[in-house]
Amino acid sequence: MKFIHTADWQIGMRAAHVGAVGGRIREARLEAARKVIEVAEAQGAEFILLAGDTFEDNGVDRVLVQKVADILGKSAVPVYIIPGNHDPLVPGSVWDHPAWGEQEKIRVLKAPEPVEIPGGTLFPCPVLEKHSRKDPTAWIDATQKDGLRIGLAHGTVEGMPQVAPDHPIPRDAALRTGLDYLALGHWHSTASYEDPAGTVRMAYSGTHETTRFGERDSGNALVVEIPGPGAPPTVTPLKTGSLAWLTLDQEIGQEGDLARVRALVEQAENPDKTLIEVRLSGFLPGSVGPELGRLKEVLESRFLYHRLDTDSLRPAPEDETWLEGLPQGVLREAALHLRELAGAEPAGASSPEASPRVAAQALMELYALVQGSES
Amino acid sequence: MILRSIGVQGWRCFADPMTVGPFGHAINVIHAPNAVGKSTLLEALLRGFFDGHRVGGRDVEMIRPWGRDLSPEVTLEFSEAGTDYRLKKRFLDNASCELFRKEDDRFVRLSEGEKADEFVRSLFSAGSPGRGLSKPAHWGLAQVLLVPQGELAVPELSGNLVEDIQESLGVQVSGPGMSGLEERIDAAYLRFFTRGGKLKTGKDAPRVVELKDRVQELEREQRGILEELEVFDQASRRVEDLRAERAQAKRDAESLDQELAKARQEAQSYGKLVTDRDLKQEQMKTASARHAELKQRIQGIESARKELARAREELERLGKDTSERVKELTRLNALAEQAKSHLEEVRKGRQGVDKAERDAENAERFVQAGRHLAELQGLLKRIREAAQDLEAGKKELAGTVAPDAKALKAIRKARTARDEAQVRLDAALITLEIVPQINGRMEILAAEETGQREITPGTPVLVKGAPEVVVNLEGVARIRARGPAGTVEELREEVNKEARNLEALTAGFGTADMDQLEAKSEHYHRIQQKVSDAQTRLDTLLSNTTAEEIEQESRKTERIIEEISRAYPPWAGTPPDADSLRNAAREIKQAFVSCVEEAELKNEKAAQAFQAANVRIAKLQAEHDLLDRGVKSISERLEDMQKDGMDDPERAAKLSGISLEWDAARSGVEKLETEFSRFQDDPRLLAERLEKQRNAIQDQASNALELLKKEEGRLEQLATSGPYSALSQVEEQIAELKTQIDTEELRINAIRLLRDTVLHCKAKILSDLRKPVEESATRMLQRIAGTRIGSVQLADSFNPQAVTPRMASSDVTLLDLSGGEKEQVHLAVRLALAEVLAGNDRRFLVLDDILTATDTGRLARVLSILEEAAQRLQLFILTCHPERYRGLAEADFYDLEELLISIQP
Repeated sequence: MKFIHTADWQIGMRAAHVGAVGGRIREARLEAARKVIEVAEAQGAEFILLAGDTFEDNGVDRVLVQKVADILGKSAVPVYIIPGNHDPLVPGSVWDHPAWGEQEKIRVLKAPEPVEIPGGTLFPCPVLEKHSRKDPTAWIDATQKDGLRIGLAHGTVEGMPQVAPDHPIPRDAALRTGLDYLALGHWHSTASYEDPAGTVRMAYSGTHETTRFGERDSGNALVVEIPGPGAPPTVTPLKTGSLAWLTLDQEIGQEGDLARVRALVEQAENPDKTLIEVRLSGFLPGSVGPELGRLKEVLESRFLYHRLDTDSLRPAPEDETWLEGLPQGVLREAALHLRELAGAEPAGASSPEASPRVAAQALMELYALVQGSES
Repeated sequence: MILRSIGVQGWRCFADPMTVGPFGHAINVIHAPNAVGKSTLLEALLRGFFDGHRVGGRDVEMIRPWGRDLSPEVTLEFSEAGTDYRLKKRFLDNASCELFRKEDDRFVRLSEGEKADEFVRSLFSAGSPGRGLSKPAHWGLAQVLLVPQGELAVPELSGNLVEDIQESLGVQVSGPGMSGLEERIDAAYLRFFTRGGKLKTGKDAPRVVELKDRVQELEREQRGILEELEVFDQASRRVEDLRAERAQAKRDAESLDQELAKARQEAQSYGKLVTDRDLKQEQMKTASARHAELKQRIQGIESARKELARAREELERLGKDTSERVKELTRLNALAEQAKSHLEEVRKGRQGVDKAERDAENAERFVQAGRHLAELQGLLKRIREAAQDLEAGKKELAGTVAPDAKALKAIRKARTARDEAQVRLDAALITLEIVPQINGRMEILAAEETGQREITPGTPVLVKGAPEVVVNLEGVARIRARGPAGTVEELREEVNKEARNLEALTAGFGTADMDQLEAKSEHYHRIQQKVSDAQTRLDTLLSNTTAEEIEQESRKTERIIEEISRAYPPWAGTPPDADSLRNAAREIKQAFVSCVEEAELKNEKAAQAFQAANVRIAKLQAEHDLLDRGVKSISERLEDMQKDGMDDPERAAKLSGISLEWDAARSGVEKLETEFSRFQDDPRLLAERLEKQRNAIQDQASNALELLKKEEGRLEQLATSGPYSALSQVEEQIAELKTQIDTEELRINAIRLLRDTVLHCKAKILSDLRKPVEESATRMLQRIAGTRIGSVQLADSFNPQAVTPRMASSDVTLLDLSGGEKEQVHLAVRLALAEVLAGNDRRFLVLDDILTATDTGRLARVLSILEEAAQRLQLFILTCHPERYRGLAEADFYDLEELLISIQP
């Protein structure tokens, strides 16, 4: 038996954290869905399991529902879907949409009851409410032995960091329920769980397209191959996502550092499909204003999305370049005062309007004015 | 710079050329009485240095001396940085400006026109006014150095003067290029903020305002979508609830159906039992009824038989009683007839009573008529007498002619009028009174009465006439007396007219004598009174009747008397005693009434007794008839009850049989009641209730289904709108805008912080710069006014703001100082500033009529300070009190008035 395990497509996902390119992010998720179908075909999979959270919310635009149904409908093999906690099977859910009934290959599994699949039995665990403390796999009868036994569930494997149990799934769920493989959804990073014998019978495929900065090992689908009942499955992740979410944390200390950061940025592949976050910290020399501007230009012009965080950058207290070009008297005094203010601890600032961040910016503004007047 | 001399001509009071100077290096006191031209000199100095020579307008025109067509000119000689200059300015006509420099002991033209104007102004760092007259704000250093009359107070210094002062103090506040950078910072600040420090709004508002507005708009939209999502979620829950409700209703209905089937079975069993019991109860009721009916019949027969026997006995007793009562009735009837006859006999005595009463009444009428007739005849006699008196009076009155009161009044009036006319006539006549002394004759030739008259000694003779009186006294003289002509005839005519009127009024009375007329009138009045009295008496006697009516009444009374006399002839001779006859009639009547009442009583009693006996007999008869009918009725009832074809023993046997049937039915009912005890309640009621419950649940399920369909439709509609997707887009836009706002705000806050920091640093440095001036001014002030007044506080623009007394906890504003202290503070500050501005160069300081409020003691100390200041400054004091400055040892005094006199041709 060979099938594709995917989950957490989160179609219609809100992407406020990337502001204006939210629409592009959503479009990429649909594209990645097409990629999953292509992978299934290329891998000769017998069916596809979609382990919940196909949609971000039951309130998504119905056009998106139709689009997803159309994409899945193009699959040459059956697609088994369960509702997840983001799109639970409740009245008015996306699963009420007529598109699901129109596609021969798609089966939305709405009840926890065994379903016959090519070469075995599927034990689906659909999510019927957003929050639950019940183990969704508890209903699976371990005594029923008839070919390969595959589970399809959505929840949190015990041991994951969480405030309260959220559709909890025991770590030995596959073993306890006698499953050959338990396909899981809910967590966005790819992760697998070995049984005491060292066999992986339970795994999160993770989301098929990365959703945010810092999301580890995501943008995959799993190809699962099981030779026969009781045989250890082979689980192979395959890249399905097209977007890269890149975070650069860089320390600035001397004049050439910013140029080095820019060089790093310029080396990024496929910048038009890359979302980049550059976080600078350390001390900013007064002379690097133009270099900072150059870095901004590169980020602005090449990348799908960028975020340049200079909040942790401070003018170097001993750096006299900030004072160069300033006449003796009031302005020099003001520049010294601002430099001192910029170097203070944020908590010690007199007001939000005079925070170190604002003071640093004020110093840069002054520097720019001086440079402007000289030129 | 020090001043050498001031020359003016064609300038207000200085029409002719006049020059004051050369001035000394130290103190120059220019004095003159009021209105001689001290302040005019200062004006010429100011306009010479600061006004462009081409200025015009009313203010400049006013400089021309009154009534002269002269062009004002000023010539100033001064030294600057060791070089001597001469400045000549002419205003208005042929305006010009020439600047000379002393070279080799002679003045050589250096520049002219506007360049010369500019050069001089630059010496004071003064700005050009552009056009028109310069104002103190344009004076530069002269704002401190030139003090016009009444303007000792140091103003808020403007222009670059503050910088000049700072520069003079030797401190670099900003450094070179500072002002340009500051302006750019200011410009950057003003792109975002107003001068007042508020973020700009409207069309000049920074982009962040628009971004925030857009965010607010999107946040409103976001709230709307969130509400929509909430509604969507609620609708979903509602549908879930309704589905659950419907499922529950279905389960409830199924459960109820089972219960209902069981209940219906029980109800059926129960119903059958009820039917059986009802049947048995009906049988029991029938047996009971039949038993009761037969028993009642047996008892009725027995009872009827006893009643019939009792009735027949009573009927017999009544027959006997009725016979005895008939005999008694006959006897009572005879007694009643007898009493009736007696009553009729007694009633016949009534006629005697009537006759006695009629006699008494007639007697009384007869007596009364006699008395009435006598009264009427007396009255008639008096009436006739009164009528005669009246007639006689009237006749006498008719024969008497006399004026009545009205005629008398008219006569009196006419008589008076005539007499008054006569008096007026007499008065109008010329009266000549001659009192002869000898006998003789006199001929009256012209008078009222002419002719001759004798005259005797001592007897006066009056001669009256008009218009003249002429008397001839024989042998003596002819006397003629004349008077005014024309009025006498009119008066005479008036006298005649009044006399005729009097005559006409009295003609009918036979005399015109007033006494006689009044006597006649009085007599007539007396007759009138007599007639009136007679009439009154007659009216009283008649008393609203007539004599004829009284006579008729008299005749009627006579006829009554005649009529009664005919009936009772004896009364014609002797009138009857009416009282005796009335008493006799009363006694007769009383005796008759007693007899009748007694007879009527007896008659009534007898009649009543008869009637009572009659009633009793009728009652006995009625009782008999009733009893007779009762006997018949009982007989019929008995016969009816015995028509069942049974005799008494047979009836008793049948009653026993029915009693047995009744007992059997009752035991059947009791048996069935035992069976009922297994049912606690009526199972039919339970079934009915369950039926209703099931219907209610079905209704509920039906309603829930309807509601569910409706909610599902609504939910589908809500889902179709895809609120979450809309929310995603809005939140992304908000996030993007907030990022932009953060960037913008960072920049705005940075610019503001930069500007605030610059201003703060500047203020601190300026504060440091003010100190030397404050300290210098404070030292001078304390020397003048003592240490009590404390230290002087200056504002940023170097004008004094307050003093800080040693003993006070807070500053005291200048407004709270006395007038003298105020001018001393300003003088001290002026001197301190002037010294700072002078630096190493001497500069002149002009004080026009200052220290007017300073007392003599403090003035002496001021003079001492002025002498010290004169070591670094050239001082000019313009005053009308030169004696106050005589204590200045090194001062040069210039008497302006003397100078003016000296230049007069």
